[in-house]
Amino acid sequence: MTDSEIVALAKERQDYFGELYERYFDQIFRFVFKRLGGLESEAGDITQHTFIKAMANLNKYEDRGLPFSSWLYRIAQNEVNMYFRNSKGNYTVEIDESKFKDLCEEAEINYMSADQQEQLINLLNKLEQEQLDLLELRFFQGMSFKEIADIYNITEPNAKMRVYRILEKLNKKWSDEK
Amino acid sequence: MRKFSIDKENKGLEPSEEQIRRYKDFSRLHHDYERLTKRGKKPVYQDPKLYMLIVLIGIILLIILLEE
Repeated sequence: MTDSEIVALAKERQDYFGELYERYFDQIFRFVFKRLGGLESEAGDITQHTFIKAMANLNKYEDRGLPFSSWLYRIAQNEVNMYFRNSKGNYTVEIDESKFKDLCEEAEINYMSADQQEQLINLLNKLEQEQLDLLELRFFQGMSFKEIADIYNITEPNAKMRVYRILEKLNKKWSDEK
Repeated sequence: MRKFSIDKENKGLEPSEEQIRRYKDFSRLHHDYERLTKRGKKPVYQDPKLYMLIVLIGIILLIILLEE
């Protein structure tokens, strides 16, 4: 059965939502887990909330040809952001060094020493949260522009343009810093 | 607030299958959903405004009946 068929059935009978849960729990949990930098129980709670919200709002969901998972990612993204907003402390999200190098390459920032890496991370941390979200999805979650576009409900070229504008901005700040 | 730092020890951030299994429970989700969306309504006697309204309607009906 396709996602659209299951969604149609789940709108009539909640039991069918279980099938969607089975299909997408793992990837949503991974997404949230990575976004939270490995906070396991928080990731479990946020994933659960994501599915509760999806279940409660399923009747409002319209199939516009986008994957059902992009709708779930959007809810999860909002839930994680809400968690960050409501948390009083600062959360450190660890990122893979190789992925960080990919970001540097795309931003046309040459390979650097450990100190310079720290400097660049500081610059990164000063970006707006929405800009950080986009970079995170692209480089640290390894999503394609198509997937990002589906989550934000924008076109693929638009997603690409937004990411590259942020990289340009980062590059400019980096040049000014040096 | 969220801050980034580089994972220099290369710990990796993929959850294990065991961790995923620990939280994957549709019956719990269903139960939580029911609890959140279908909370039992307050009994009439615990809602003073509604209780007073019913008493008032009762008194009015009684007066009308007695008048007739």
